[in-house]
Amino acid sequence: MNKVWLIAKRELAERLRSRSFLGMIILGPLMILGLVYLFLSFDSNKKQTWNVLIMDKNELFEGKLMPNKDPNFNFHFINAFVDYPEFAHQEKFQKFDLTVWINEKVVSNKKVIISYRERPSEAIQRKLVYHVERRLEEIMVEEFTSLSVERFREIKQPLRFSLKDTYDPKNEKSLTASWVGFTFGAFIVVFILLFGMTILRSVSKEKSNRIVEVLLASVSPRQLLSGKIFGIGLSAILQVAVWSIIIAVGLYLLRISLFPDLLSPEMVANQLTGEIAEAQNWTSQSPFVELIYQKIQFSNMLVFFILFFLSGYLFYGAFFAMIGASMGSESDGQQFIIPITLLLFASLAAGYFVVLFPDSSISTWLGFIPFTSPVVMMVELSNGFDDGEAWRLYFSLFLLLGTAMLMLFLAGRIYKNGILQFGHRVRFGMLLKWIKK
Amino acid sequence: MLEIDGISKSYFRKKVLEDISFKANEGEILGLMGPNGAGKTTLIRIINQITSADKGYISFQGKLMKQDFLKEIGYLPEERGLYRSMTVEKQALFLAKLRGLNSSDAKTQINFWFDRFGIQDWRKKRIEELSKGMAQKIQFICTVLHDPTLLILDEPFSGFDPINIDLIRREIKRFKELGKTILLSTHNMQSVEEICDKAVLIHNGQKILEGNVLDLRNEHKESIYSISFHGNMIGFATALWAGYEIIDKVAHTDDFFTVYLKMRKENEINDLLNAVMPHVKITEVKEVLPSMENVFMQQINRGKVEINE
Repeated sequence: MNKVWLIAKRELAERLRSRSFLGMIILGPLMILGLVYLFLSFDSNKKQTWNVLIMDKNELFEGKLMPNKDPNFNFHFINAFVDYPEFAHQEKFQKFDLTVWINEKVVSNKKVIISYRERPSEAIQRKLVYHVERRLEEIMVEEFTSLSVERFREIKQPLRFSLKDTYDPKNEKSLTASWVGFTFGAFIVVFILLFGMTILRSVSKEKSNRIVEVLLASVSPRQLLSGKIFGIGLSAILQVAVWSIIIAVGLYLLRISLFPDLLSPEMVANQLTGEIAEAQNWTSQSPFVELIYQKIQFSNMLVFFILFFLSGYLFYGAFFAMIGASMGSESDGQQFIIPITLLLFASLAAGYFVVLFPDSSISTWLGFIPFTSPVVMMVELSNGFDDGEAWRLYFSLFLLLGTAMLMLFLAGRIYKNGILQFGHRVRFGMLLKWIKK
Repeated sequence: MLEIDGISKSYFRKKVLEDISFKANEGEILGLMGPNGAGKTTLIRIINQITSADKGYISFQGKLMKQDFLKEIGYLPEERGLYRSMTVEKQALFLAKLRGLNSSDAKTQINFWFDRFGIQDWRKKRIEELSKGMAQKIQFICTVLHDPTLLILDEPFSGFDPINIDLIRREIKRFKELGKTILLSTHNMQSVEEICDKAVLIHNGQKILEGNVLDLRNEHKESIYSISFHGNMIGFATALWAGYEIIDKVAHTDDFFTVYLKMRKENEINDLLNAVMPHVKITEVKEVLPSMENVFMQQINRGKVEINE
């Protein structure tokens, strides 16, 4: 065991010294955060507070728009109409970002024009419209009804239709959730490919520079292979851990910098009771933000992500080790990398299939096949399992781990027989002979 | 110390080794000779437990060879290999620990050997920064760092310049003096003659010769003598009769020669001397033993003839 650990430590140290590993461990999550930032900033304009000029010639709004202050807006009223060129060029209007023109007949013609210098996000537009609409509602209730505004709003409640799956009334198996699982699965595939190739390169490098013979005079082939896979696995876990930490911290920083309202206590209080609450609820959060910050159960997903990744890494790693050990020359085994890579891509395709057809029987089977289960189970997990169905998750993991052990055993045989063979062409028959020996 | 007993090995129905047996004792250097593809490397790998034998046993210090004994063995393979991107020091430390040394012993040993070979300056250099010869030195050091009792050296002199060949040769002799057993696989017959006590010749997977180096040379001698004399070469030649054959001659000066003669039939050196002494002044007569290279070639060719027959 001591020797396995020594080999593993050397492998880990080599990865930690490698610039590409260090680059990837830092740049990878930063790139992901960059993408998330792009998506988020696409949904929420960077500008935090908008100065809005309400052009209310007849002073219908009486200089009021809403009872509480919305941190996104500063409203200013003017009892005149400012033409577009005037607003665009005059010095005194430069501090305003938006104008809202409340025309004199707004109560009857229901027309409001909003003009902007810099186009506000969809969320800001909807929020502004909501505030103006609410104020107009108050005015109209006062003018045309004898009801209180509260009573009117109670009556006015729109009908809420919703489309529901009979088998999933809580909409747990939403497509968004499936994509989250798929993304986790895709990460598994990327990591397996990355570290599987590392195993292959490490094995073939030791073979081609002949140090393997020196090592084999001290350790058994199985110890050497185990140490190698263990060491590279440790570097993989390290990378996953660093990625998780950087991404978690990054998402938190993005949240406090891009969406401070989600965290501030007064906003939380407002959300519970205040007028702004409703506006916040239905306007400020895009589906993507909601997905990132509220829908993904990171702790649960992360635990199974690591378990399925490690099992998948051992399973596929065995194939990569077999190829590395059986290569007659460094270029010889390249042809065998293609089928493995295709299998990995097939697992992605299987995951995609399960996203689209989660309830088909093929999806259930794909969840048990070790080649596809890491991705498929991530998709299934993100959707949640029905009562009494969770066994499928554990059984799939057990199957994957079991076959991984079997493949590692076979890889050990090929490794033992092939690692000191040079200059041959890899043939399938030869691999079978090595397995039997 | 090391006993090879009836080792046989086949790869895909091709016999690589067939019933090989020999012994190497403590404080002995055994030369393992054989042409390329004879099976030497396979045998060495079997001793090192890298490959398993189909038949036969290896005993080490009287016990059946097992993985645990590997820390007592230092193995320098023919195909040299080191991690190219690792520093000399880290590489040596890693290999020493793999051979069972703890960290502090490994460091002490590394210091000792780096001092001995005068390479303290190389500690932080990566292997890829070293020349081939320098890397060979590191590899030799890594082989002996754990103070093994059995050294298996496969072509230890290849890639070295004459100065370093001499250095390695001296180290091997020193190990012998320390009572260690050395198994030396080499094509360098001069080294076998100079430093080996015993030799084993393997050809086509079979042991065709084994014995003390001097004995082997004696056994293969062909009644060749060298005679150095002052006088006339023609006079010397005419004094000979059909029982002798001149196979070579060296003219040192106009009247000083060395002649290599081969005896024919039952002739004795005394008869020859009686025949030539009246004509030339003899300064030296000695019997010429065949070199190990000649022994090697004779055996291989004999093997070929036997195979052809």
